[in-house]
Amino acid sequence: MPLAALPGNDLSLCIPDLKSKKKDAALAEMAAAAEAAGVVTESDLLLELLKLRERLGTSSLGKAVALPHARSLTIPHARILVARSTRGIDWQAPDDVPVQLVMLILGPAEWSDDAFHALVARAAASFRLQRTRQKLLSAPSAQEFALVSRQALA
Amino acid sequence: MTTLQSIVLLADLDAMIREAQSPESRARLRKLGFDLEGLPRVMAARARLADTIDRRWTFSYERTRQRYGRAVAAVRERVCSGCFVTLPTTARPRAGDAPAPQHCESCGRILYWT
Repeated sequence: MPLAALPGNDLSLCIPDLKSKKKDAALAEMAAAAEAAGVVTESDLLLELLKLRERLGTSSLGKAVALPHARSLTIPHARILVARSTRGIDWQAPDDVPVQLVMLILGPAEWSDDAFHALVARAAASFRLQRTRQKLLSAPSAQEFALVSRQALA
Repeated sequence: MTTLQSIVLLADLDAMIREAQSPESRARLRKLGFDLEGLPRVMAARARLADTIDRRWTFSYERTRQRYGRAVAAVRERVCSGCFVTLPTTARPRAGDAPAPQHCESCGRILYWT
């Protein structure tokens, strides 16, 4: 995965405190942040696609983690946005635990299933360790949160 | 939502449906922990979205999709990502114009300028 896809020094790809309390609003907040960062050309279209993806099945994997993902014509380059909700968001998780960590995985429409699934698998693996999730949840600043996100995905 | 936006969403949605219908992709996503049981709901949403698009464009979309798999190609750096032909500068919609669907003169895919 190209390093540019990772959040890190670019704080625009990290949202350390999601304001939204509901899943659709959180997706909208992240899509808007993606457009502001130049990651997506039309956040409205991305948001519709993400909502439809959630209708296919929840993107929460349990353990307070969700990995919404989409490939779209509106996305020129693969990018990952990481966000945190201190309150937790109902994401219809398989374990019913409110989601606190969200990794929005975005890929261009031209990417193959194999390439995109490899990126999603890598993102999922980065959240698997409880130690990593705890570090992300307890990061005191946006910079620290971005740094831990980058280390987790590296 | 403009006609072009609806067509772009339809193309992205079709790719998602194709992914969810592919046995290999389903297996990989299930292994990662994703549930894909809502496919009928997404298919219904796809039908509703297609109904909102002018028939002339849905016909063109379906015909191009049958031919290439993906009916819409993003234009990146003035290059059609479907056939990799560099498009003339005059093909680009003018800033301020409402984006209208247009075909690639080389491959016939519907173009989405980014």
